[in-house]
Amino acid sequence: MNPDDIKLQELLRGHRPMPALPPRFQQNVWRRIEDAEAPAQSASWLDALATLILRPRFALAAAAVLLLAGVSAGTLEGRQSAQHDARMNYLAAVAPDSAR
Amino acid sequence: MNRSLLILLGALALGAAIFAGSFFTARHTTMRCCENPADDLNWLRLEFHLGDAEMARIRELHAGYLAKCAELCTKIAAKKRELNPLVGAGTHLTTEAQAKLNEIAALRAQCQARMLEHFVAVSRAMPPEPGARYLAEMKKLTLGHHEQMEQSMSGDSGHEHQP
Repeated sequence: MNPDDIKLQELLRGHRPMPALPPRFQQNVWRRIEDAEAPAQSASWLDALATLILRPRFALAAAAVLLLAGVSAGTLEGRQSAQHDARMNYLAAVAPDSAR
Repeated sequence: MNRSLLILLGALALGAAIFAGSFFTARHTTMRCCENPADDLNWLRLEFHLGDAEMARIRELHAGYLAKCAELCTKIAAKKRELNPLVGAGTHLTTEAQAKLNEIAALRAQCQARMLEHFVAVSRAMPPEPGARYLAEMKKLTLGHHEQMEQSMSGDSGHEHQP
């Protein structure tokens, strides 16, 4: 290599302007890379709940629980109502208002 | 509207429909199964879990009691019809009206005595524990009927009559 070329290259390198990097440049670059690689998060708790509801297992289990609760409460209530009506019938037969 | 919110509202509506549907169906079925409006004594069978032999004995007692009760109730109704013209127009209570009131009260007392006798007889036709429970319940439901009124009219409730 020509010694003049080497001098010229050094001269050119020294003359090239090197702008100052903004503060925390490297840290910001890495943060943006990590953000880009991270999996997309759900937007809110509402979306998470909707996703849960749409799961067939969860939907079936919830429907079964509600059905069971409804049948139990209805049976209990029906039995109480029937007993109350039957008691009123008996009372009306054995103890009419005029005799009480 | 937000899709997730729609899903949530739809699920809530569906859940409410499932619960309400099963509740009312079960309630209706149970009531139809347990209810027997034609039988006055159905309550005894339901509440005190009586057997056929006990129910048969109680049916006999019930039929005998109803005849006496109807007779007394007819007498009370007749006395009340006689009382109405005596208290209807006057501004003061006549001796005739007072006498009629006494007669009605005597008939009512007689009716209550028959009723209590019947309750005791029915309770004896039951096993001891349900019998005692039945008697206590019937006393509360029949004799206790007047107690509330008497208590509210007496000084116990804070209400006092002025002399």
